[in-house]
This record gives sequence, structure tokens and C-alpha cells, in this order.
Amino acid sequence: MKKKQQVFSKHMTGKKTQEHLEQFNNLLAEMMSATGAKKGSLDQIRVLEISYANFPGLVCGAMLGEMGATVIKIEPPEGDAAREATYYGRYINGVGLPFVIESRNKLSVTIDFNDEEGIANIKKLAEKADILIDAMKPGHLDELGIGYRQLSPSNKGLIYVSVSPYGHYTKKGEEFRNIPDTDLTAQSESGYPALSGNPKAPEPYNVPVKAGIWAATYMSAAVGVAGILTALIHRDRTGEGQMVDLATYDALCSWPGFSLVWGFTTERPRTRVGNYDWCLFPYGYYKAKDGYVTVSAATDADFRSLIKILGRWDLEDDWRFLFDRIADDPEKLDELEAEMKKEIATHTQEELTQKTLAYGAKAARDPLRSKGFPMVVKTLKPEEVMKEQHWKIRKSFLECEIPDDGTVIIPALPPRMSETPAKMEWLKVKKGEDNEKVAEEYGLKLKKK
Amino acid sequence: MTQDYFSFTEQLFDPSQSASKPEALKGIRVLDLTRVIFGPMIAKWMAMFGAEVIKVEEPEAGDDWRTGTYWGKFWKDSCPYFQALNPNKYFAAIDLKKQKGKDLLKDLVKKSDIVIENYRAGLVEAWGLGYMAMSKINPKIIYISCSGYGQWGPLRYFPSYDLISQSVTGVARMTGFSEDYTYKLPDYYGDFYPAILGVVGLLSAIHHREKTGKGQYIDIAQTESLMRAMHNWTYMNLAGEDLTQTGNFDPTMAPSGIFKSKDGQYVAIAIATNEQFSMLAEAMGSSELAQDPRFSEASQRLLTEHADAINTILEKWARSRTAEEIIGLAREKGFPASALMDDWKLTQDPWRKERGSVVEFEDDMYGKGTWAGPPVSLQKSPGRIKHLTRPIGYHNRYVFKEVLGLSEKDIRELERQHIIGYWDNRVGKRPPSYYDIAEDEMFNYKRDERT
Repeated sequence: MKKKQQVFSKHMTGKKTQEHLEQFNNLLAEMMSATGAKKGSLDQIRVLEISYANFPGLVCGAMLGEMGATVIKIEPPEGDAAREATYYGRYINGVGLPFVIESRNKLSVTIDFNDEEGIANIKKLAEKADILIDAMKPGHLDELGIGYRQLSPSNKGLIYVSVSPYGHYTKKGEEFRNIPDTDLTAQSESGYPALSGNPKAPEPYNVPVKAGIWAATYMSAAVGVAGILTALIHRDRTGEGQMVDLATYDALCSWPGFSLVWGFTTERPRTRVGNYDWCLFPYGYYKAKDGYVTVSAATDADFRSLIKILGRWDLEDDWRFLFDRIADDPEKLDELEAEMKKEIATHTQEELTQKTLAYGAKAARDPLRSKGFPMVVKTLKPEEVMKEQHWKIRKSFLECEIPDDGTVIIPALPPRMSETPAKMEWLKVKKGEDNEKVAEEYGLKLKKK
Repeated sequence: MTQDYFSFTEQLFDPSQSASKPEALKGIRVLDLTRVIFGPMIAKWMAMFGAEVIKVEEPEAGDDWRTGTYWGKFWKDSCPYFQALNPNKYFAAIDLKKQKGKDLLKDLVKKSDIVIENYRAGLVEAWGLGYMAMSKINPKIIYISCSGYGQWGPLRYFPSYDLISQSVTGVARMTGFSEDYTYKLPDYYGDFYPAILGVVGLLSAIHHREKTGKGQYIDIAQTESLMRAMHNWTYMNLAGEDLTQTGNFDPTMAPSGIFKSKDGQYVAIAIATNEQFSMLAEAMGSSELAQDPRFSEASQRLLTEHADAINTILEKWARSRTAEEIIGLAREKGFPASALMDDWKLTQDPWRKERGSVVEFEDDMYGKGTWAGPPVSLQKSPGRIKHLTRPIGYHNRYVFKEVLGLSEKDIRELERQHIIGYWDNRVGKRPPSYYDIAEDEMFNYKRDERT
């Protein structure tokens, strides 16, 4: 990083500033090249993950493991059915991709739930656990005598996290306890696909559209981990454990919460708006000469800068767009959108991104042009993303060996922490791989094969 | 037994008891220097679970999102989105461009546990308000910087927004049907997901500090957060080709999609496992399906040709049943299905209200409303909403008197020099027109008289 970087703020130049930044850069350089001497923030924390066909549960366990906890993943001898799901039927060592990705840093143990000895083994493991993830059908572990009410009396500090579509309490939770989790059905119950899609698209595309990534699974898992850590801090301060309940069909609604804002202020649902945003314009994808670009001009100043860059300053005092360009009048917006599309199509991706960056850099030094800085970037394909040097320097993608099956690439857990960095230690996908090791450590009785 | 279990859990989580239970993060003081969504949401989690969050805004201007409302509509002179993003916080306004403003912030840092900022990378360091400076005056401080690309690497100084981070990670290419019918993830997923991972980092740092007494610095990036939720990297490495738009079909699950029912509703169905598939086949009354070698095993069912075939069969079946019938069968047999919700149904949903994840809340300044409650339920230290947002600088007196022990005279002097300030008269920043701020006890907070 010796080459001088382009900066977009007048505050980022000057001698004193450089001194401040130099120290900071040293810290960052050290953080990004973490040598492994530092331990994760959950070092010494023991987690028992009991999950079946439940991806948010798997992700919760993986994230805790990335932060340094010892995570024992328990599944029945025939294996967790979550292993079956994978892209287009492509498996690694017979295991589905999502399961592989979320197996990081876990120990794999198989236990027969239909067997008294198996239940006794789980009890033994739970006695020493700090966190237990129950991602089974609600009430199932309770029936087996290893639920929160059976385990908590002898382990007062236990944080027991239940992960299920509709949760472990409420009337509906009980009535719907048979319904398993998937990302798509969780998105739907959270109203997410209702917000995507183009009302003017031809059939069969004129429908609500789900998110193309596991938006619900990852959101609810991270919310679950945040809940677990909040309970852990409560335990640090009081010594008491508790039960934490995550409804995976809810978190994508209740963490962002904007659907509720709309529901209660307008008393009706939003309709799909295609490439528009409800708050910002332009805020979407546009076809340039040689491919798509993404344009975000959030503030009025940004918008003015954008039309200046596009050479369309004539739009500035047009009465239709002058005052409030995001009025609740989509027809007016359609006219402005048509102008945007027309203009952007005459430029290449490179022209647009370079022009806006140059404008931003210049604007930063000019007090009269103030904040205006529209953002235009190439709409990248994931394969283009992987080539970007920035992520290599930051080690955003990790390579790990799977015994007998080559190298797997997985993304790192992003909070980069100066004292307690997250880590990727191993990826194990064979079920029961750690049976002996864990049995010895915890004094479990293993069935003879 | 299960009935017994649910009456046991009902007692544990009864939302009507939440307000009287302890708060997990009580006594932790957070300085929230953030704007828009990403940063404010990290601070919101802290505030919901009991931390004292002081949101420091620029006098008169404040958080950009105070005026960033949908279709330009305001609610009681406030932006309802801003309300949703910033409950339970204390609102102070300091001019950080002035040296005395910086000094005032440093005084607050000395008495705080956490600082959250989401200026462009490096900017707070340049101002002398970054981690390097703050950790010198408070070595135990936990400092989290939120940005688009992270604080390190050649792209770090580029500005970012939810949508930009969706584009530079390729998320933008994943939703929809084809390149020309591609959609962004709605409602700023590129802010809300990074925010919750920021919360995870911050909470784990608090735990570490409880154990060791050490603070630290955290760098969280929007882009890397989205990458953690994508399977593309692993798939590309394995298959030598990229994943792309697949409409409402999830390529890891077959059949899967959002189907239209007999009564014209949308119902999502996704089959992740063989067991679930046999249950679906049973619900469809078709034992041949469960036996069909194309479908009985996931490894076969997921092959494109077979997946298309089973999806077509399911689509036809869904059209012959009402949404209620399909959901009823899913409950009875145990396969994943759910009706498509929308904003209004979510707001009315009795299940979410019973859970406490959607709450009816009456605020002293803004009255009644329906808001998001805590998205996860903690039995002994649950999250809660205590008050909505307030105008810029509303808690100046409370914060500077209680935290820094300033007198009324000190505060008047800071006001005179424009070091601290208040709202201007623009909508979104000012108090509601019906509200008499002059009579407001908190705004005019009188500590001197009380003691």
C-alpha cells in the first residue's frame, strides 16, 4: 500500500493527519496479518449444537466456533439431514455445500437419540456446556429429558438457545411446531419476497421475488448469535444462565422492522416497485453501453452532482423534478427514470465510475460543492469479485483443506477484531469424526461398532 | 407432554413481564456517532438490551435519515424510519468540527465503554477522534468502525451504501430471473445484515472485556458481511462456474418456489430433505412420487431436469388447493411451507405480538404506534422499547449534566459558542408541532435543583 491512495475528503490530507493515520495503519496492518497467537473472544466457551435439518442452527454454531468457542455438533448416527441440501446436486465428499461451509471449527459427534446411553451422554456433555443450541423440533429435547427445564437445575449458568421457525412459545409456536425451517419459507413468512419484483414485467416474471441468497437464514442466525452473546454478558455479570428463543421465520421481519413502519403508518402493504427504492432516487441498476452499473444518489446534493456529471443540468430546474423527486407519484418518477436510463446508456461503465470518482475527489476539496458525491459502480458478478485484490489483502476468502477432497473456499467472518480475531481452524465434514476424542474428554460411553 | 412444555415456556417468556426484568447491558455507556442505518442499528441493539446510548449528532443537521423518508412522507413531523432505527437513545448535539466540540466528546469518551462510528474510512482518525486517540484517553474503550469496504485495503476510501455493497459483492446479480430482471435485496439488507454482524463483534468484545478488562478495535465492512452470507465462492471453486438468478427456485432444495394457490394467494414451499419430500408426497396423495427414482433422493431430485419436473408437478397441485389447505397439510405432515406475508399482515400478526417481536408502544412525545420489538427473546434479560426518538439536542442538558457534571451556566456558555446545539426548523429534526417543548422536563433537565 505504498502508492498514494485517492481520498475523497479534504480532512484526509495535511501533515498532522498523516501522522494520525500512520499509527492507525500500523494497527490495521497488524490486524490483517494476524499470526494466530491471539485467541478468539469466546475462547474457553463450550457449545453443544444439537440441530437437525436446520440451517440457522448450523450457522449459529459456526459463528460461535469462528469466534473461538469449542463447538460440538451432535447429530444422529445416520447424519443430519441438512447434509442433503446442495446446489444442483453437487456434493463434497457426499455432503451438501451449505453444510460444509457451516461446519467450520466444529467437532463432529454422532449420538443415538433413541438410546438411553445416548441420552446419558448428551446429559454429560450438557453439564459442562456454557451454551446449548437446540435446533430440533420444539419440545423434542424436552420429551427426551434433555430440554431446558431438565438441564438448567444442575447447570445454572447454561444458556439454552432454541432455534425453530415459530419459536418455543406462543399458541402458534405450538400449533406450527411440525413445520421445518428453510430459507425460502422463512423469507415468505417475513414478507420479504413481497417487496421485490417488477410490476411491469411480462409473465411469468410479474410475481413477488425471493432474495437470491439465503437472506432469512443468515439474518436469523446472526440475530440468534447476538441474542446468545447478550445472554452471555448477562451471565458474566450475574452468573445466571437463561433460555433464549429465536423464531427463524420472524427475524428477517423484526430486525429490519421497516415493513411494520409501513404497515402501521399507511395501513396497507407496499406494492412492488421494480428498480425503484421507496426513499432514494436514483437507487438501482442501469444499463450502460457495455453492461450494468449501479447508481446511488441518496441526497439532493448527490442527485445534482449526478446530473451535472451526466451533462443533464437542464433537468435541475425542471418543475417536475425540482422540489421533491421522490414524491408519491410514480408517473413523475417514471419520466425522470426514462431520462436517467437514456443518458446512462450513452456511457461506458468505466467512464461513469471514473467520472463520478473524479468528481467526488474534486468536490471534497471545494467548499462550494459540499457533499455531493453520487456513487456509480460496475454491477459485478461474483466471479469478478473474487479477482479483486482488495479481498486478497484483507483475507476475506479463506482456503481450507478437506481431507481427501482438496481445497474449499469459504468467506471469513467479518468483524475484524484487534484483540480477539475470528479464526478458521478446520473444516470437518465426516460425521462422527470426533466421537472418540470427545468421549475420552467427557467420559462418555461409546457403543461398540 | 408438549402442551406441558409450551405452558412451561409461556411463563418464561411472558412479554407482559418484560419491562420489570433486568437488562443485560445496563450500566454500559455507548457513544453513537453514526448516521443512516448500518451504525445506528448496532447502537439500537445496545439500547434495546439496556445500554445507555448517547447519539451524538451535528447541531441543526443531525442524522441524514431524519429526513430520508419514503415517498417524502413524515409522521408527526418525524421520519418513521428514523424512529424505528433509534429508539431508547439519548440525543445530544455537538459540533465536532470545533476544537471545543472535540474536547467535549473526549470528556464523554473518558466516561464511556463503547464508541460506534460510520464515517468514511480513516476520517475519524484524521480528526483525532479515532481509536488511536481515544484509546489513549480510555484504554478500556471498545471502538467499532463501520464502513463499506473496511478500513484497510486499496478500496477502503471509496464511499459505500447498502446498494453499492450489494453490487461490489455480486449479491445484486443473484435476485430475479435474468440480467434484465434482476433486483436489489429490498429494505437495505446491505445495512441490516452488516449491522447485526457488527453487534456480534461488539458483544463478543464486551464479553472479552468482562473477562480480561481489555478494550479493542473492531473493523466491520458491509461488503464482507454480505460475502459471509453467500455460497457463490465455494460453489465456484467446486463447479468452475458461477451461481446466477434462479427466480423463486432455490437450487439447494427441490421442489422449491412461491406458488399460486387455488384462491389466488402466494404460498412458499421448499423441500430440503428426503424425509420432507416423502411427507409432501403424502400430502399430495401421491405415493408414486415418493417412489419415483428421479425424486426420492436429494442427489437426484436436485438435478436441473428432475427439479424442473417436480416443480411443475407441485405448481399444478398448488393451484388445486387453497393456501389454507396447503398450510394445514404442511402442519399436519411436517414439510416447510408458508403463506406470503406483507407489510400490513405483519403489522397485524397476533403471533408476533404474542412473541413480543412486534409491539404496540405508547410514547410520551409521539403517542401510539406499532414497532419492531426485540428480534430474539431472552427469558431473563429481554430487550424492550422505552422511548422513541427525540429532536436533535433534546437530551443535551440530561447528558452533559448527568455524565459530565456540567452546570446550567457551563451549558449556556457552550450554547453561546455554538459548541452544542439543537434542531433547526426543518421537518424531521424538530419536535412535533403539537408538542410544547418549553414545558418538557427532560429537555429542560434540572439537575442542580434536584440535588
